[in-house]
Amino acid sequence: MSGALREAWANVRARRGRSLLGGLGIVLVATMLAVATTVSYGLLTGFDRGAAEADLPDVLVSFDSQPASAVRERLASLPDLEAFSLREQLTSVPVRAGRESADNGVVEVVGPGRRGYAIVAGHDVSRRGGVVIEQGLATDWGLGVGDRIRVYDSPPLPIVGLARAPDNVAYPLAAPHVYVSLAAYRAATRQRSARHVNLAQIWLKDPSQLDAVLVQARMNSYGLTGLSLITRSGVRVLIDQAAGIVIALLGALSLIALLTAATMLTAAARAEIQRRLHAIGIWRAIGASRGHVTRVAALEALLVAIPAAAIGVGIGALLAAGPSDRLLGLLNQPGPGSGLVAPLIGCFALTVLIPALAGAWPAWRAAGGPPLTLLRGAEMRGAPGRRGAANGGGGLLRLGVRLATTRRVRLLATLASLAICTSFILLMVALAAELNTLANDPSSLGRRYQLSASLPASAAPRVEALPGVSAVGPRWEVSAVDAYSLGEITYLIAFRGDHTQFEDPPLVEGSHLHGDHDAEVGRGLAQLLGLRVGSTLAVALADGHELRLRVGGIVSSLEHDGRIAYVPERALLRGEPDAPEKLAVIVSPGASTKTVTAELERIGAQVTTSTGVAGGGKTLVDALRGLLLTIAAVDGLVCLYMLTQALALTAGERRSAIAVLRACGAGARSIRVLLAGAALAVLVPAAVIAVALERFVLGPAVSRLAQGYASLSLAADAAEIAALLAGLAVIGALAVWWVVRRVTARPIAGGL
Amino acid sequence: MSPDRYVLRARGLAKQVGSGRARRQVLDGVDLDVVAGEMVAVLGRSGSGKSTLLNLLGGLDRPDSGRIAVAGEEITGAGERALDRVRLRRIGFVFQSFQLIEELTGEENVLLAARLPGAPSGGRRRAAALIDRLGVAGVAAHRPHELSGGEQQRFAIARALVNDPALVLADEATGNLDDASAAMVIATLGELADEGRAVVLVTHEAGSAAAADRVLHLVDGRLQVAAEGVRPDLGP
Repeated sequence: MSGALREAWANVRARRGRSLLGGLGIVLVATMLAVATTVSYGLLTGFDRGAAEADLPDVLVSFDSQPASAVRERLASLPDLEAFSLREQLTSVPVRAGRESADNGVVEVVGPGRRGYAIVAGHDVSRRGGVVIEQGLATDWGLGVGDRIRVYDSPPLPIVGLARAPDNVAYPLAAPHVYVSLAAYRAATRQRSARHVNLAQIWLKDPSQLDAVLVQARMNSYGLTGLSLITRSGVRVLIDQAAGIVIALLGALSLIALLTAATMLTAAARAEIQRRLHAIGIWRAIGASRGHVTRVAALEALLVAIPAAAIGVGIGALLAAGPSDRLLGLLNQPGPGSGLVAPLIGCFALTVLIPALAGAWPAWRAAGGPPLTLLRGAEMRGAPGRRGAANGGGGLLRLGVRLATTRRVRLLATLASLAICTSFILLMVALAAELNTLANDPSSLGRRYQLSASLPASAAPRVEALPGVSAVGPRWEVSAVDAYSLGEITYLIAFRGDHTQFEDPPLVEGSHLHGDHDAEVGRGLAQLLGLRVGSTLAVALADGHELRLRVGGIVSSLEHDGRIAYVPERALLRGEPDAPEKLAVIVSPGASTKTVTAELERIGAQVTTSTGVAGGGKTLVDALRGLLLTIAAVDGLVCLYMLTQALALTAGERRSAIAVLRACGAGARSIRVLLAGAALAVLVPAAVIAVALERFVLGPAVSRLAQGYASLSLAADAAEIAALLAGLAVIGALAVWWVVRRVTARPIAGGL
Repeated sequence: MSPDRYVLRARGLAKQVGSGRARRQVLDGVDLDVVAGEMVAVLGRSGSGKSTLLNLLGGLDRPDSGRIAVAGEEITGAGERALDRVRLRRIGFVFQSFQLIEELTGEENVLLAARLPGAPSGGRRRAAALIDRLGVAGVAAHRPHELSGGEQQRFAIARALVNDPALVLADEATGNLDDASAAMVIATLGELADEGRAVVLVTHEAGSAAAADRVLHLVDGRLQVAAEGVRPDLGP
């Protein structure tokens, strides 16, 4: 073995250029794999890590404020109970620190017992005072332990710790959470009355008994208003749905990386072995065994692959760590830490194993032939093929096409890999653009109005008469609790008349709202409750009034994670006559939103501008977009490498043809034209296949994955296709430039 | 002799090849002048540096020292573009292994050089005339693997001549041919010289060299006069 190792090392040293090029390819593939692995492993396991870290309860119960003693009594009678803790949750609390402020803060007054959140810095709250804030808030506002924050009109309170609770997404996606101890809260507010709570956390001895506990909890909760029960798995469904598209995309990326690696490395190894047939023939002729030749080839591949794969995996992990941690942070989930080591070692092993096999297999096959044949077959020549039309194809560009198409199997493999990689880039670009649209364009969510005015329905005619207003519709929205599934929150929305004039999320199934007994539910709600067209939506309103409606249609909506239902105005107001109302205002084409806003404010309305999924979601969208574009960029580098390698192999195999051309007076420009032809032979069909693949396969497939949230049009548009083609042109130009530079640097005589 | 008659002038060419302990001097002060209409054969053993000399004369490689001028144009020290232009317009190469491009027909191989940027106009006409003259018009649409060795070499000669060069360099042009084909190729090279071109033929076969106006021996990196033919007035 040491002899084979010495020989392999000598080969690597003798062919430094080739070894470096091969190593670069392995670095890129390993980078792609490591990026995909780092992000998808982090997301796939993030919730479990977060739940374990935070000791997340099995059930979260929220209700209207009750004396703690009464709630304690009800909870104590639950079966299989391991522990519970009670909290008072105060919402819409103004919080501010320095120049930052938010009006929708949530103050959690925590009593004794288990917490359900993890302290990630500093220490937990205590009776001595001080607050713990959620990590998302600390990150967004640049706060740390020791800084101070104001809650309500309190004096600045010291921040004693940072917490992470995976039962919700982090600020700014959700309201900022501030935790304070019961003793400190009561001391600060000088409360002397009995403690009231509105949130209970329940831990079970045996989580498999959850259903029985929920049934009992429902019975025990008789008389409680505003009840909502959320299970750990319910939380997980929501969080995992959000990460699902990214994980699916990264899974696909991993497969593409492997396919690309296999194609590139096998092609390079085959070409190298072809080039070395003569040397192999000599080795065989002087008595080297077939095993020795194979071992040398495998060791040579390993000597290049081991450092290259280590570098690639390191780069990929570092590259993905930032966006991945940011995404996990937004989901209130910890990073994978040392748990990522095993998957990354797996990536390393794969990216080492593939080149070793790709090097050993063709060597094993080649070394099986008689030495004489090997010695004769050493010269690489163009394969006889179809006859070209006489006089029809003398041009260098066309000759380049012919040179590239001579090796048909390799051409097809390169073309397939390049097409898949390119279509994936196109998909990423389309997805990033779509995310941008979702973040900024309300119409992408089916929202047709630009402004919301806090005015009663009776003010609609007056608003309609304002200049610049095209249409006005009264809108009601209330939250309700699902009557069957033990507390899933549903948001009921009603418009006067046809709601599709104002909000028209894409209809997935059934029909739009018609009649007083129908509802049009969001896909998120339909999935959570198992609703289909024709089934019954039963919800309990705040005062306990139950509303039963037939599901007439299912729509794709991102609002409230799709947990919405459009219901008839009359049905909603019958159940909740004091439902909060607003006016949805559509601004006339060409009119200024600012002017209409000023007019509305003049008549006393508080006006909000419609946004896309954004608001708080913009941060998540930005993080996702960053991640997608990072992946697309790495993928683009892989395309560049693949094309460069294909051209370098063509130039290497046809070095005598190129040398003849140069001997005849062809300069670098002519060789560039020749290799541009070879590049076009790969790029043009790859681009066509990539666009078709993205528009007809990948785009629709990912759209289907995402249809629980939104109707995404992921078929690339003309601008995105044009950008892709421009990118491919740049890649082609770079690859040609680099290969021609290498080719023309070699002496002509060496190729003859 | 008037200097403008010299198509090729080489002075003091030296070249080392190999590296480390294997490095050796293959050319050590070679002087060679060839005039228009002259055919010079360079004989030498294997590894004597014949091909290295031809590569230097054709601008395919650069000498360690010495000077070369082709058709009055100095090529030592010339930039790549200038060298490309000289090879395109002034020099035609004929190789031992023909070096035809497999993907192209015989005719396309000939036209390839004529279609390079900067090639003199009229290439298509000249190509047709050459193919006709060399007797391969009937197989012009065939690809190299469908041609005999002699036919391939004739297409290679046509390619070397398609841009009407002043200097033709032939490297073991008959090495891969049977006697009849070899004789035909040598006769063709002689005709090229008769038309006013300068022809340098390197070979290790004395028979092939016999038709040359001058025969030189490459020994120990230097050219020695072996024989002079019908043009005794021309020195090495």
